[in-house]
Amino acid sequence: MGSNGAGKTTLFRTVAGVLKPCRGTIEFQGKQIHRLSPDRIVSLGLSLCPEGRQLFPQLSVYKNLLLGAYTRRKEMSRVRKTMEWVYELFPVLKERRNQPAGTLSGGEQQMLAIGRALMSEPEMLLLDEPTMGLAPLVVRRIAEVIKEINRAGTTVFLSEQNANIALMITERGYVLENGRIVLEGPSPELLENATVKRAYLGA
Amino acid sequence: MEVFVQQVFNGIMLGSTYAVVAVGLTLVFGILHIPNFAHGHFYMLGAYLTFFLVTSWKIDFWPALVLSAVLLALLGVLVERIVFRPMRDQPHVNAFISAIGTLMFLEAFVMVVWGPQGHRIPNPYPETVNLLGVVTTQQRLLVIAAAVVLIVLLHLFIKKTVMGATIEAVAQNREGAMLVGINVDRVSSVTFAVSAATAAIAASMVAPIFMVSPTMGALLGMKAFIVVILGGLGSVPGAIVGGYILGIVEALGGGYISADYKDVFAFGALILILAIKPTGLFGKEVG
Ligand SMILES: Nc1ncnc2c1ncn2[C@@H]1O[C@H](COP(=O)(O)OP(=O)(O)OP(=O)(O)O)[C@@H](O)[C@H]1O
Ligand SMILES: [Mg+2]
Repeated sequence: MGSNGAGKTTLFRTVAGVLKPCRGTIEFQGKQIHRLSPDRIVSLGLSLCPEGRQLFPQLSVYKNLLLGAYTRRKEMSRVRKTMEWVYELFPVLKERRNQPAGTLSGGEQQMLAIGRALMSEPEMLLLDEPTMGLAPLVVRRIAEVIKEINRAGTTVFLSEQNANIALMITERGYVLENGRIVLEGPSPELLENATVKRAYLGA
Repeated sequence: MEVFVQQVFNGIMLGSTYAVVAVGLTLVFGILHIPNFAHGHFYMLGAYLTFFLVTSWKIDFWPALVLSAVLLALLGVLVERIVFRPMRDQPHVNAFISAIGTLMFLEAFVMVVWGPQGHRIPNPYPETVNLLGVVTTQQRLLVIAAAVVLIVLLHLFIKKTVMGATIEAVAQNREGAMLVGINVDRVSSVTFAVSAATAAIAASMVAPIFMVSPTMGALLGMKAFIVVILGGLGSVPGAIVGGYILGIVEALGGGYISADYKDVFAFGALILILAIKPTGLFGKEVG
């Protein structure tokens, strides 16, 4: 959690290898990854669903998902299974599979971005503000899916300004201010924390 | 009427070359977001290599063409690596200057090795053919057929293969492509290889009909650039349609009015189309 400009997106893009840190290290499963290129990091099982979605607008929904499995392109039968699962999570994507991604609504594009990130079968999924600008109904659906993804065995690392949602569906929370963690703990505790309540829950 | 049909045929032949060369240019534009001004010089060098292999090494026309395409693919990879990649995070003008440096180098290289004068590749298929009243040579028909085959193959490559899909992905969203695990550097290399190789094939096909000379690249590069703007930057169908339109406009203008002014018609068509549709025929707003 963190307000606008706290550094959430910068942190996520650095973890994914798009930005390189000036100093410090990033470890994933005991391996230093901060000098690796983004494609190597995806192959290691860490996938980012970025802010702004970064879809391929003129390619179909299906091709966007297929490219999401680029690092697994040698295992097509597994890729097809993962795609079926993504279609189960978001049936609307299946309906619109032949439509260019750029013609989808904002909510559908967000679903596609999450689906595309899942296609590489990551051990850890980074989600950067997946509910930004979406209607309450869509937000609820995405929250359910995030829990579902986690139940299926993927660690989810979520960045949100919507602290209510974030703390309801996660186990641990970290509050980021000016690029530093100022508070951390089990999510239910943070939900009761006076500072969090004042700053992020508008109570 | 007969003149008209003959000129349209000539236009299609000219347009075949423009279309193939412009597709290569537009593919690279999608990746770099700047035009590779040295593209016409890849074309020129491709023609010279075929010329060299046929006349000095006495290799047959077709193997020479294939070898020239392979060599140009390697050159494309090399140029991307040492000329464009270091400029990627720099202002675009730096890449422009690098491209111009490259084309000057290539032109000077050819000038030193083969001299400033024109050369001719012996025409492997000079027999004339009478096709529905149009008198032409087999080689001219082959130029047209080869362009169609190349365009179909390129289309299949881009739309039906994973590697082709990665080229579209990088063009449409570079960061998105990195995040799904695509190695953007490798895609750039492949795109340059395909683009330079197709230019070499197009050049080798028409080289037996026209002369090869060190300056042939500059004019063709300029025209391919017109075609790409005409068709809409980064659009493959636009480059194909634009290529044939330019060829036909040139041939008709040259045939009916004056051959001296054929380039005037080409640039005139560009100005007219851009005045009506500023993003080009198939152009989308660049996002
Ligand atoms: N560790 C850092 N060191 C220096 N500058 C940083 C750091 N982290 C973030 N910034 C800068 O802070 C600004 C905002 O960062 P960022 O986009 O990551 O915020 P955010 O938390 O994602 O905000 P939003 O909620 O609006 O998306 C950017 O200009 C970024 O360059
Ligand atoms: Mg952000």
